[in-house]
Amino acid sequence: MAAYTHLDAHAQELLQDYRQLRPALEKLAQEAYEILRQALSQQGIYVTAIEYRVKAEASLAGKLELKGAKYKTIRNITDLVGIRVITSYSDDVDKVAAIAKRIFDVDWQQSVDKRKLHELNSFGYNSLHYICRMPSGDIPFELQMRTALQHVWSTLVHDTGYKSDVKIPQEYIRQFSRLAGMMELLDDEFSRLRLVLADYRRHIQSLVKSGQLDEVPLSADAFRNFLQLQPFDRLNKRIAAVNQAEIYPVSLMPFLRVLQSFGLETIGDVQHFIEENTEDAYQLAVSQLAITDLDILSASTALQNLCLVYALKQGRGREGIKAIYDAINGEDPANAMLADMVFEQASTLPFMNAKE
Amino acid sequence: MQTTIQEQEGNIIAILEGSLDTAAVPETETAMSPLLEATDKDVIIDCTDLKYICSGGLRIFLGVLKSTQEKGHQVFIKGISNDVRAVFAMTGFINLFKFK
Repeated sequence: MAAYTHLDAHAQELLQDYRQLRPALEKLAQEAYEILRQALSQQGIYVTAIEYRVKAEASLAGKLELKGAKYKTIRNITDLVGIRVITSYSDDVDKVAAIAKRIFDVDWQQSVDKRKLHELNSFGYNSLHYICRMPSGDIPFELQMRTALQHVWSTLVHDTGYKSDVKIPQEYIRQFSRLAGMMELLDDEFSRLRLVLADYRRHIQSLVKSGQLDEVPLSADAFRNFLQLQPFDRLNKRIAAVNQAEIYPVSLMPFLRVLQSFGLETIGDVQHFIEENTEDAYQLAVSQLAITDLDILSASTALQNLCLVYALKQGRGREGIKAIYDAINGEDPANAMLADMVFEQASTLPFMNAKE
Repeated sequence: MQTTIQEQEGNIIAILEGSLDTAAVPETETAMSPLLEATDKDVIIDCTDLKYICSGGLRIFLGVLKSTQEKGHQVFIKGISNDVRAVFAMTGFINLFKFK
């Protein structure tokens, strides 16, 4: 244990109190961290990181050396336990703060919103600091909330020794401020983009729901929304009826790239693709399944057969069939065998002969 | 129908030999139950000598897949014949499994 003999008697006394309090501080840090982590998770707030620490003895000694007289008792020092929440978006800092207010007792006299401390034309450390206590506790702790970009700025500035004893020339301080301004701009832009994208998703959802499918570009989001309408359900049930099969639910998202490879550009194109190929896809599926007693099918059966039929009707032949299997199963030489099998089965079906 | 369970290189392996038809489903399901209990291993189902698979067999495979994926591991199917692969393809289950 370091002696810190350079400290005055009052500081020595506070340091001794800290040592005695240390186990309680450790316990508080873990409890507060865990309660906050759970509350954020329950509210569905994704944060980049939550970290906590108990102030190291050497760090406290340094603080007491500089301003020990300011603290009457050890409990006047509010950052012995620190928790930091780092969010991706600036909007989320306020959401985290709202949750913290609900689960902790916040000491408003001592809490600081550093985001509001700057003059309108100055930029710098942006972080929200609350001094909190557990509802049943009396030891204060500091909760810092900031975005990932604010965290990067703060960490890098700290690493450069910005707050060290050496006086930093004005021009360098200005450069730090410029960077802080840039980070603030980036934070705002990311938050704005998130809002724009959320609006776009809602817009696409409403277009899909209202049936305006030709206006919806074929993207992962749009296809996912379209699948909620169960567009392949009817054909799946019709195919399943051949062997009174049960339908096992699976994701159809792997087929998106197949549909895109066909040049389908909108959800409307996918709807037309279904309408134009349903009967032939049914015939192909029946030609495969009717000679078996297989009574379990994946929910991808309809879409798979639609894709196979479409490729054959487009004259893509065995290579086209193999490309579909490569896209949904991963490339495998055995896919050529499957392509041969499908090609042979399809060769007797009306749509193949009509082409010839 | 014969089912052998082995552990090799940190994986649990089920070696299936014969025809997994409706009659063989109950005994195969029992024999493959250790695959459902494995908590920290990838599963390999060796189908090199599997000649046929019925719907009940597919259901066993799907049960193993679901259980293994829930534990964060993968199921690989090894040495599958063309006939059995065709069953996986026509039922649409082929893209659920990884093949070795």
